[in-house]
Amino acid sequence: MLGGILKIGVVSCSGEDCLGGTISRLATRQMIDEIRPEGTVTICLPLFLAGGAEERSFAESYPTIAVDGCAKACAKRATEKYSGKVSDALVVSDVIGKKTAESGPLSVRNLTAEHTAMVDQVAREIRIRFDKIVRASRQEGAGTTGDNCGCGGGCSC
Amino acid sequence: MSKKIKVVPCSGMGKVFGLVAREAALKVVNELAPHAAETVCLAYIVTGDPEIREEMAGAPCVAIDGCPKLCAAKNIEMAGGVVKQEFRTVDIFKEYKGAKPGTATALTGEGWKMVDDLAGRVNSAVKELLEEDV
Repeated sequence: MLGGILKIGVVSCSGEDCLGGTISRLATRQMIDEIRPEGTVTICLPLFLAGGAEERSFAESYPTIAVDGCAKACAKRATEKYSGKVSDALVVSDVIGKKTAESGPLSVRNLTAEHTAMVDQVAREIRIRFDKIVRASRQEGAGTTGDNCGCGGGCSC
Repeated sequence: MSKKIKVVPCSGMGKVFGLVAREAALKVVNELAPHAAETVCLAYIVTGDPEIREEMAGAPCVAIDGCPKLCAAKNIEMAGGVVKQEFRTVDIFKEYKGAKPGTATALTGEGWKMVDDLAGRVNSAVKELLEEDV
C-alpha cells in the first residue's frame, strides 16, 4: 500500500509469437494508462531472471495478476517460479478464443477495430480481477488500518 | 542453411524503448525476412521449459533490447541460445536527438521511423548471419 492506494501488479506475457501476446500487452497497458492508472504497476517479465532481488520480489511486494496470451501461461508460471504466487490470472485465449489468440503475431501498426475490441474485452476482464483483489484487501483491512479504503482508485473515501 | 535466425526483442512494458524493440522484430519476421527470420516469445524462454530450452540450444539469435538491462540477450543465453548480434534501442535513440517517439503503448511518426531504421539494421544482420552459415 503506497500513499493510501493499493498497488496491484499486472504482469503481461507480451508474447511476440502470437496475436494473444499483443492483446495481453495492450490490455495491460490500458490498465496502466486509462483504467486504473494510480493503482496498476507492472514489470518486464524477463527481468525476473535478468534483474536482481528487487525485481524478483515483485509478486511478494504486490498482489499480482498474470495476463497470458495463450494456454502456455508463461507469465503466470514464470512469475510463480521466480517471484511469488499470483493473486489471479487471465488467459487471453479463454476470452477471444484459442484459434484467434494463437494466430500470427501482430504489429500495433496493423491494429483493426476488431483487435481494439478484443483489447477492450480483455482489459475489462483484468479490471474485474483487479477490483476483486481491491475488495478483498478492503475487507481484510477493515478496522485494522483505518488510513485508507484500499479502493485503488486514488480517492480518499 | 538449416534454421531460421531467431530475432528476440525484450518487448519491455514500461517504456517506449521496449515497444520500439518489439515492433522492429515484428517488422523483420513479418515483412522483411519472413523466410529467414522468426521470433520466439521471450516469456516462453523465461519459463525455462525443456521444450524451449531444446529449441534454443545453440540457436543463432539476434537480440533487440530496449535498455541496458539486456533482458533479451541474457535470457537467450540462459536458455542456451547464442546471441550472434545485439541491438539496443537506446543506441538508436541517441541518433535521433530531440525526437519524440511516443510511449510504451503507441508510437508517433518519429517512433515508427526509428522502428523502420532499427528493423533495417536487424534485417542486415540476419542476412549476414545467413551468409556465414552457408
